[in-house]
Amino acid sequence: MQEFDQIQSLWQSHSVEVKISSDEMLSQAKKEVAGIRTRSLLNIAGMGLSFAAIAALLVFFEFDAGVATQAGLTIILIAIAISTFVLYKDHKIISRSDFTQHPNAFLSQLKKYQLNKFTIYNKLYWFYTIALSLGSIFYFYEMLENLSLWIQIAITAFTIFWMALCATILRRSYLKREKERLDLLIEKFERISKQFNEHQ
Amino acid sequence: MEKKDQLFKQIFDANSKKIFHLCYGYTGDEDAANDLLQETFLKVWQNLDKFRNKSLISTWIYRIAVNTCLTYLRSEKRQAKDELTDNIIENRAEEFSEKNEQVALLYKSIAKLEENDRLIITMVLDELPYNEIAEISGISEGNLRVKIHRIKQKLTELYNQHARI
Repeated sequence: MQEFDQIQSLWQSHSVEVKISSDEMLSQAKKEVAGIRTRSLLNIAGMGLSFAAIAALLVFFEFDAGVATQAGLTIILIAIAISTFVLYKDHKIISRSDFTQHPNAFLSQLKKYQLNKFTIYNKLYWFYTIALSLGSIFYFYEMLENLSLWIQIAITAFTIFWMALCATILRRSYLKREKERLDLLIEKFERISKQFNEHQ
Repeated sequence: MEKKDQLFKQIFDANSKKIFHLCYGYTGDEDAANDLLQETFLKVWQNLDKFRNKSLISTWIYRIAVNTCLTYLRSEKRQAKDELTDNIIENRAEEFSEKNEQVALLYKSIAKLEENDRLIITMVLDELPYNEIAEISGISEGNLRVKIHRIKQKLTELYNQHARI
């Protein structure tokens, strides 16, 4: 039969070990946010690279073909440039505030970023796909002219297949993953802010 | 910025062990306790500038930790108490010494208490002054004394019950 005093001394004798340091804790928290920023930057960098590659093709490669090829590449270039600019504007939303300094401001920016991301991948995506398809049609119209019929069919079929895949399965799974990631982060920050406001 | 970092380090070093103990007593799970510890100190870091010295900094942190634990358990609809108990036993299954067995029993008994009682008793076990516990739990000191007396009895009863099994 134990008394409360004995229970208390048992509690106090049980030593616990904190496995994380203050530095590790802060850097871990910062890493989650940095991950979203890095992904967003990589996305922009990828678009930038595509732009550079197609621009180089247009400037340095001498096409035998005529206006349709040039027009096709130009349409693709404009579509990439507009999309990259929109992605960059979106990236600026989360790059501006530091969550360790202004948690509430960061939380509202994060929500805005999430909403924007959906607009981009629902509305802008279709503009991007249509522009890219139009550009490709013009480009292939002349470029495939000298190839055999089977190669023409294969290239056209692959392009259509790839675009359909991007527009359906890949786009949906990317959106789902991104939503889950952002939801988790928002939920965490909301929990932190709410509790704090309640008990200040 | 440097100053804030340094102050945070001092606060973390001085309080993290007690807060971890509180979270551990509350959840009975080391990983969950670690998460709660991090969340608590994240809030401390974010709100350090707002701390007005109206109370002791340790009381302030305790209060944040208590609310963090409560919100976590409620929002996550954490495991039922039986599951929690299994967790404690499982976590400690590898440690067979008598003392560890007693500690496991203690956590098991704490886990059987009501949420608020669990928090109050962990603060009592950590020997926090009654006025601080009253401030953290939002209960008047008079009522708190009665409540603590009742929780102590309940915990002792539960502990002895488990010890007999």
